[in-house]
Amino acid sequence: MAASLYQPEDQSTEVWVFLEHQDDLFENISLELLGKGRQLADELGWQLTGLLLGSRVSKLADQAIAHQADRVWMVEHPLLERFTVDAYAHAAYQSILKGKPGIFLLGATHDGRDLAARLAVRLRTGLNADCTDLRIDPSTGVMISEVSGFGGGVLALIEMQHHRPQMATVRPGVFPILKEAPDHVGEKIPFPVQIQQEMIRTRVIERSVSASIDLTQTPVLVAGGRGVAADLAQLQELAEMLGGEVGATRPLVDMGIIDRERQIGQTGVTCSPKIAICCGISGAFHFIVGVEKAGTVIAINSDPEAPIFDNADYCVIGDAQKILPALAAALKRDTEGVRG
Amino acid sequence: MAELQIAVCMKVVPKPEEVRVDPDTHRLLRQNVRNEINPPDMNAIETALALKDRYGGKISIFSMGPPEAVNQLKVALAMGADHVYLLSDRTFGGADTLATTYTLACGIRKLGNVDVVICGEESSDGATGQVPQGLAEWLDLPQVTLVTDMLLDVKTKTARARRSIKGGYEILETPLPCVVSVKTACNEPRFMDFQLRARSDQKRRLTIWNAEDVGADGNYIGEMGSPTRVSGLASAEVRDRKREKISGSRDEVADILAKLIRGIVQRQSI
Amino acid sequence: MKKVDEYLELDEKLWERLLELTGGDVAVCYQCGECTAACPWGLVREKALPVRRLMRYAQLGVEHTDPDLWLCTTCGQCQATCPRAVDIPRVFKSLRQIAWEKHQVEKGLPTTLWSMYWNGNPWSQPPSQRASWAAKLDLPVFDPAVHEILLYVGCTSSYDRRAQKTAAALVRLLRAAGVSFGYLGNEEPCCGEAALSVGHKPYFEEIAENTARVFKEQGVKRLVTVSPHCYDVFKNHYAPYAPDWQPIHYTQYLAELIEQHRLIFDQALDMHLTYQDPCYLARLNNEYDAPRQVLAAIPGVVFYEMKDSHIDGLCCGGGGGRMWLETPSGERFSDIRVKQAVESGADHLVTACPFCLVCLEDSARLLPGSALRVLDLAELAALALKE
Repeated sequence: MAASLYQPEDQSTEVWVFLEHQDDLFENISLELLGKGRQLADELGWQLTGLLLGSRVSKLADQAIAHQADRVWMVEHPLLERFTVDAYAHAAYQSILKGKPGIFLLGATHDGRDLAARLAVRLRTGLNADCTDLRIDPSTGVMISEVSGFGGGVLALIEMQHHRPQMATVRPGVFPILKEAPDHVGEKIPFPVQIQQEMIRTRVIERSVSASIDLTQTPVLVAGGRGVAADLAQLQELAEMLGGEVGATRPLVDMGIIDRERQIGQTGVTCSPKIAICCGISGAFHFIVGVEKAGTVIAINSDPEAPIFDNADYCVIGDAQKILPALAAALKRDTEGVRG
Repeated sequence: MAELQIAVCMKVVPKPEEVRVDPDTHRLLRQNVRNEINPPDMNAIETALALKDRYGGKISIFSMGPPEAVNQLKVALAMGADHVYLLSDRTFGGADTLATTYTLACGIRKLGNVDVVICGEESSDGATGQVPQGLAEWLDLPQVTLVTDMLLDVKTKTARARRSIKGGYEILETPLPCVVSVKTACNEPRFMDFQLRARSDQKRRLTIWNAEDVGADGNYIGEMGSPTRVSGLASAEVRDRKREKISGSRDEVADILAKLIRGIVQRQSI
Repeated sequence: MKKVDEYLELDEKLWERLLELTGGDVAVCYQCGECTAACPWGLVREKALPVRRLMRYAQLGVEHTDPDLWLCTTCGQCQATCPRAVDIPRVFKSLRQIAWEKHQVEKGLPTTLWSMYWNGNPWSQPPSQRASWAAKLDLPVFDPAVHEILLYVGCTSSYDRRAQKTAAALVRLLRAAGVSFGYLGNEEPCCGEAALSVGHKPYFEEIAENTARVFKEQGVKRLVTVSPHCYDVFKNHYAPYAPDWQPIHYTQYLAELIEQHRLIFDQALDMHLTYQDPCYLARLNNEYDAPRQVLAAIPGVVFYEMKDSHIDGLCCGGGGGRMWLETPSGERFSDIRVKQAVESGADHLVTACPFCLVCLEDSARLLPGSALRVLDLAELAALALKE
């Protein structure tokens, strides 16, 4: 059995968490990891350390401490200003060899996965991907990761006894963000690294980020069919309220009421929102294919025979055009009641 | 530059909807489950074929699996790949991504002179999405992931890859050789060429290598080389919709829905 | 004299191949242009589909991989109008076959064929769920010693939620008539028509060989299909594999059962109906009567013929692989057809093909101010059974 670069007996009793950030703000996943990291550290009686790479990260380090990190390793270098796998893997590798954490968590974001996968091989350790839960085995103190496979049909529990750090990438949105504790005290540890430009083998030639419609990432989908064609504004209001996007079936796109980019289904977009609210949609399978992966599907349709009801978690037989305004009002009431 | 050499990593996987976990033994039930080529790997081979169309060269398929996997991998030859190298050995069994990437790297190194390694984004079974990057690390090559399109400059020996990022795209340049993983569904894999399919020299294009053939260190392969271990397996709840009816007056229904929706959408701040 | 700017390369080898692939038909065309005039694409587009010109390319051995090649629904209107009855759809399919060899096919079609390869159906649905539509119906596994017929459901009626209702209705009818029938369930093999209609003849042949072998092993002699597409391909293209079986479309079988007094309709239906002749049953296989006999046997209904009926029947737009391609709104034959249905005086449009059913229902939904309902003949007939 090939060993990792350091053994369990050499590990420091720390849970390390890789903190992703953009424009001086933490990505949500970083805060989720601090929350979960805090819980794991407390269970083990360990410390929680944030690994923060960038060009100038002191203010972010303060925020991490406020989110309950006991320590923050600040790895600052101009070549770490933007994420590149080569520079970040090098810097993280140096840090981990020095700090020898028992556990190292990263977000299962594109950058997080790219970094984690390379690092794990470099460290000759194991990596559990896209975890939906993390626990500590009370008898061994080893971390157990829950992952899913086979299209989500199988859940597996994975652990590594003999290799360190125990690495895992965590699925964004699974763990909650802990409230800030502004009085929390922690240590900021600057860790200098040497990075040469030649180490970075990939070069960005062009980058284009626009506020284009990307339904594939929306957490909430409010989809409309022929039954609500007359009143798209209702859908838009609801989507805005819930931080989501409006989608539609083909007939609405055909009628020119909505952009083709918002067409959901076999010849349109497939998305995996936490919740899909389908209004006035009959549910032919070429539409269903587009929302198959939604966490929860709510269907509102006046036709009791509509096939959408076979593919929904919650079924409302009624006129969507009448129910939507009532729903919007109810949601507004809810928000108002929860102030303070 | 000599003839372009492209390596494509492919995996034969069971159809995910057919895999079940035995509730008593907690092991995967694999009998009578249909196999297929991991769909993202089909996008990888299509990317390779597009490069071959444009620049010429040879495509070698690398796969780690049991001997029967050749039955599915032949499909790649019918699409236009030149050779299949199946890395098959009892000692490769039980590998996690560390051991898998090590083994694939051994195979690719044995072939030698590879200019581009193309992989699918992730596999439909394990879905770790870690193989392309791990492979790049073992081979000490630059990596570009989530590629939707790529071009090569054979004179300067560089690749230009367009990749998907949050809210848009970026174009990266990287020297060859490099490892690329392609975004799932970034292209439409061409159907098999039936003239290629019928060619009788198929056997000549299939090579099976074992651990010794590729010079693999026994400590790094299979179960021996896998730091992670599965300690439990269970069937996830079958994704069959609840089909729960919500009835009542319009306002009653609206209230129930509002509560439901809030519960799902809101982040709990503890 | 006008200067010629464009030259067409004539390829002798291609010409010979097309001659062979079209069974010589391509040489019979004398370029009258009736086909272009008859093609329904002329009804929905400014520029008609240049059928005559494509025939000319094929005759001369000129390669043609333009998008119009994939518009053809193989409805056969052209062939029916052609003074020499040239099998023009076959010419289109032959040009498509050449296009496949060059990897120059319409986007979406490789996915359809891959689905047939990995999933045994063109709909990218799991093979292990083919028989899920019948989960509660307790259908017997086909046994040639005991069963009169094999019920062949086909991919579309197995997986499409709307079309599944046709299969379920047919089961009710067969049971009401006391027919002893069996079903192959998840083992039911695809007929391969999708591959043939998009022009991939070699792949179709591979599928057909396998399906015929399965039927032989199962001892299938008489099989009743739900879709006219499966019926057509079994009847007309499986000869090299299965000489001794009898495929029959379900409308023909129901007509038979009615004649034998095995199937009786007790429930009168107060409906005004019209009927869409599916191209693959009617024009391509000359079956206009059996469905009308079934309709005539249903008490209470009033029947109207639409404009463009019988041999002039307007295609729904689904054949020729178009079910797997996007037809922009405003260019759908079925939009015209549902208008014709309403104009005929009917409130129900009945058909006997899952493609027609889906296309026509989509169009009926978009027809403003209309309450036209689209039904399959089996669904209609099942309504007329005594409870």
